[in-house]
Amino acid sequence: MRLRGISRDWAWGGSTGAGIRVGIIDSGLEADHPRLAGRVVESVAVELEDDEAEVVPDDGKDLYGHATACGGIIVEMAPDVELVSIRVLGADLRGKGAAFAAGLEWAIDQGIDVLNLSLSSKSETLFPVFHDLVDRAYFKRVVLVSAANNVPAASYPSLFSSVLSVAAHGEPDPLRLYYNPAPPVEFGAWGVDVPMAWKDGGSTVATGNSFAAPHVAAMVALILSKHRGLTPFEVKAVLAAVADNPR
Amino acid sequence: MVADDDLTAALTALRAVGRRSSVARTLQGDVEQRLLQSIVEATASLFDAEASSIALHETDPDRLEFRVAAGAQGAGAVGLVVKPTEGIAGYVFSTGQGLSMTDVASDPRFDLEAAERTGYVPRSIACVPLLDDEGTIGVLQVLDKRGSPSFSLRDMELLAIFARQATTAITATRVQRDTVRLLREVLGQIADESMTDEQVESVVSKATEGLDDDPDAGPFWQLVDHVALMRGLGERDLNLIGEILEVVARHAQRARRRA
Repeated sequence: MRLRGISRDWAWGGSTGAGIRVGIIDSGLEADHPRLAGRVVESVAVELEDDEAEVVPDDGKDLYGHATACGGIIVEMAPDVELVSIRVLGADLRGKGAAFAAGLEWAIDQGIDVLNLSLSSKSETLFPVFHDLVDRAYFKRVVLVSAANNVPAASYPSLFSSVLSVAAHGEPDPLRLYYNPAPPVEFGAWGVDVPMAWKDGGSTVATGNSFAAPHVAAMVALILSKHRGLTPFEVKAVLAAVADNPR
Repeated sequence: MVADDDLTAALTALRAVGRRSSVARTLQGDVEQRLLQSIVEATASLFDAEASSIALHETDPDRLEFRVAAGAQGAGAVGLVVKPTEGIAGYVFSTGQGLSMTDVASDPRFDLEAAERTGYVPRSIACVPLLDDEGTIGVLQVLDKRGSPSFSLRDMELLAIFARQATTAITATRVQRDTVRLLREVLGQIADESMTDEQVESVVSKATEGLDDDPDAGPFWQLVDHVALMRGLGERDLNLIGEILEVVARHAQRARRRA
């Protein structure tokens, strides 16, 4: 069913992402990286002390380069967004589900409009935690965009239905978008041989679902900047309507 | 503190567990290593790659250790140790997200030093996580696909399939490999507040001391070796051996009663 009347021009024509905050839950944004063009407005990190998570100010560094890559993709497509760096990876965290959940909770409570997630957790004990957080985000109108895991196993929160899960396609066009109503992946965006920023002011070319997700996060920022207050399900409907494979 | 009698009983029980697990490990041989090796060989060959390798996560200290490698440029990777907070292998391990990169040597993010230690600096790299039910246990990586500057999505999917095979091989043998860790965890849980970490450690080391000694050291281990040889036998042969052992056991019982 084609959602009539919704075109790309209507969805994001003229939009630059102004007024929209996008949170990158990842390895920490390198705030002074030229490709982030000074758009980083806040940097925090999760610290775990005896499994108690605390969110503290961060120093604007990227341990790996991955977060900066995602941020750069978003700024290129939506140059006026404000980026918030939420670092949940690091020497003592190493992708711990509890740190990830704490970072996600903080970002949702801040009411950051769009959250780009590169991580997922397989932990069954965290399943209810993520479920609760994802629902909280949904009703707070925080749009969660998550890289789909490319292994056929349960991973949260990318599998929850209110999350926009994204896999990579190989057509070199940042706005090329596919909609797939069958789980586990709902959207397809460019994620193969993508030129991107990397740590220490560098750049690279890389492939992965985690580079497809920021393309969709940027589209969401463009839509929300032009149509403030849309709910996550309305955003999904708009994306499905303007996808390159109309149904 | 635990009473002496309890401690002796616990030690005996733990030693029995350790012994069984040690027997299982001997029976199984280096199945894990051979399987992992065959997986990296298949990966290197299928991708026509310069190298393919598997790194597993180890603790104390926290590290990723390259266990097997294949391909013309792979040999230098075996034994290489990298931090889980660094480089492409570290990111893939930490996030469970596979990724590939092109022209890696010219990028500042690439751990050039680690690559140089292997004697080979790649142009492109693809890396996927080894995921079991609880999380990431290591990574599988491929360097430089000949005839192509980068890895395709199909390549990444294929790699993920090989990674699943590797994970199955590892988890199937993990209990045997990690006897000490298993005992430490179980004992730590049972003892709860009544024992300090040091006490747990001391009990575990007493219980597992000498378990991995030379298999030729005693007749028991010779027997284990014989049994290990029987693994490939068919049902008829196994039944026959079962009957022979039964006769031997009955004989032994009678001999003991007479004595």
